[in-house]
Amino acid sequence: MTGTKAAGAAIEATGLVKSYKTKDGTVDAVRGIDLRVEPGEVFGFLGPNGAGKSTTVRMLTTLLSITSGSARVAGVDVAADPSGVRHKIGVALQEAGLDERQSGRELLTLQGRLFGLGPADAASRAQELLELVELTESADRPSKSYSGGMKRRLDLATALVNRPDVLFLDEPTTGLDPASRLVIWDEVRKINARGTTVFLTTQYLEEADQLCGRLAIIDDGLIVREGTPSELKAELRARRSLDHDPTLDDVFLDATGRTRERQAGDVQEVQA
Amino acid sequence: MTETLVLAKRAVIEGVRSMESLMPVFFIPLFFFVVNIGQAGKIFPSEGTPFLEGQGYAAFSLPTALLTAASFGTAALFLVEEIEGGYFDKLRATPIPRYAIVMGRLLSETLKNLLVTAVIVVVGMLFGVRIESGPLGFVLLLAIMATWATVFSGFMQLIAMKSRSAAATNSASFIFFPLLFLTPNFVPRDQLTRPMEIAASLNPVTYIMEAARSLILKGFEGDVLLKAGVVLAVGLVLAISLNVRAINNYD
Repeated sequence: MTGTKAAGAAIEATGLVKSYKTKDGTVDAVRGIDLRVEPGEVFGFLGPNGAGKSTTVRMLTTLLSITSGSARVAGVDVAADPSGVRHKIGVALQEAGLDERQSGRELLTLQGRLFGLGPADAASRAQELLELVELTESADRPSKSYSGGMKRRLDLATALVNRPDVLFLDEPTTGLDPASRLVIWDEVRKINARGTTVFLTTQYLEEADQLCGRLAIIDDGLIVREGTPSELKAELRARRSLDHDPTLDDVFLDATGRTRERQAGDVQEVQA
Repeated sequence: MTETLVLAKRAVIEGVRSMESLMPVFFIPLFFFVVNIGQAGKIFPSEGTPFLEGQGYAAFSLPTALLTAASFGTAALFLVEEIEGGYFDKLRATPIPRYAIVMGRLLSETLKNLLVTAVIVVVGMLFGVRIESGPLGFVLLLAIMATWATVFSGFMQLIAMKSRSAAATNSASFIFFPLLFLTPNFVPRDQLTRPMEIAASLNPVTYIMEAARSLILKGFEGDVLLKAGVVLAVGLVLAISLNVRAINNYD
C-alpha cells in the first residue's frame, strides 16, 4: 500500500526501445520514445493498431522487458526495481483479465491479499471498491455472469486495490457500448480527482478529448505528436492554414499520415 | 510464502468449482483399472502367479491407475487458460514474487492428487487390494503419487508458458501415453521382451511404478524406494527450477 505521491514526474521514459527477434530478423515495436507525465495528469496515448501503444504500456508496467532506454514510474526505475514499481501502480489491460470462476468480491479480496493486506483489510478494501464501481449488487456472483461493462469496471477496481500513484488503462472502453463507455469515463474522472495519475491508451479520439489533459500520438513505434488537445489542434490549424477549427480526428490523421478514406477501414471509430 | 499459499487456496477453490475438470482424473484411470482386471485377471490368477505375492491382479494394476490419475497436469490447463484470458498478466503486475504464481498452482495440484490417490486406493480396496506395507506405506504411496503429479504438472506448466496456447498444452499432455505404457504396467520388468525392457528401464516412470507396486504387494523395499526417490527428487528440482526461470523470464 502506498499513499505517498511520487516526487518529480509520475512517468518518465527516455529512449525507450522494444525489439523482438523473429525468423525474418529483428522487429522494432517501439523505436526510442521519450515521455514525461506529471503527477495528477490524465495522459492520453493514441495511435493506430500496432503502433506500439500496448507494448509501451507493458514495458512501463514491468510486464515486458525493455530492450534499451530507461523508464521511471512513480519515481522508481522500471528495470532496476520492478517490484517497487508494481507496488505503486495499477494496471487494467486491453483484455479485462479476470478469473471468471471467482466473484467480484473474491477477486478484489485476493488482489488485496497479493498487495500485502491481511484478510480483514482485504475484505474491507474490496467492499470500498465494489461501492466505487457500483458493483455491490452483483459482488457475490461469479464474474463470468457479468456484462462486458461490468467486467471492465471490476477490472478497473482490481487495478485500484493498492491505491496506486499511477494507473495504466490500456484501451479501457474498447468493445463497450456508449452507455458503458460513459460510466468508465466517470470512473476515470473520479479516480483522477483523488490524485491518481492516469496513463490511458485509446483508439477513441473523443475519449482522449473528453478525458485527457495532454496526449501523445505514437505511430510506427515513434511519438509523432505531443501536447494538449487544444495545442495540437491550434498547431495543425496554423501549419495547414485552415479556415476552421480542426478536430482531434484531423490531428490524428495528420500525425499518422492517414487519410479519412484509408482510416475508415483501419479504425472504425474515426469517421468524417 | 504467504502469496503462494493464497494462490494455492484460490486454485483449490477453482478446482472444486470446475468439477468437470476432475471427472476425467477419476473416470479414465478407474475405467482402465476395471478393464485391465477384467481382461487379465484370469490370465494371472492369484495362485500360480508369483509376482502377485498372493493378491489379485487388481493389486498389480493399481499403480498404473494411480499414475494415470497423477499425469493429467490440470494445473497447466488452468494456467494456460489464464495466460490466454489475461489474468496471468494481472497477477504478474502485482508485487508478489512471480514464482508464487506457478508454485501456487503446483501446490494445489499436490493437494488435489492426495485426494485423488486416496479415493482410487479406496476403490482398489473394494476390488480386494491390500496395502502390504500398512498405513505408513499408504502415506508413502500418497506422497509418491502427489510428488509425481507435481512434477508432471510442472513440466506441463512449462509448455503452457512457452506456447501460451491451450491447444498446444492440451496436445502436449499426450506425452503421458509413452511415459505410462513404456513401463512394466502389465507384467514385471523381467517378463517384458528385451526391447520393451530396455525402453522401460530408460523410462523414469518405471521406477515410480515399481515403488508403488512394491508398497502394495511386498512392503518396504529400500532399494526400490530409493530409486523412485531419486527420480522424484530430480524431477521435482528440475520442474520447480525451470518453472521459476520461465516465469521470471516471461516477456
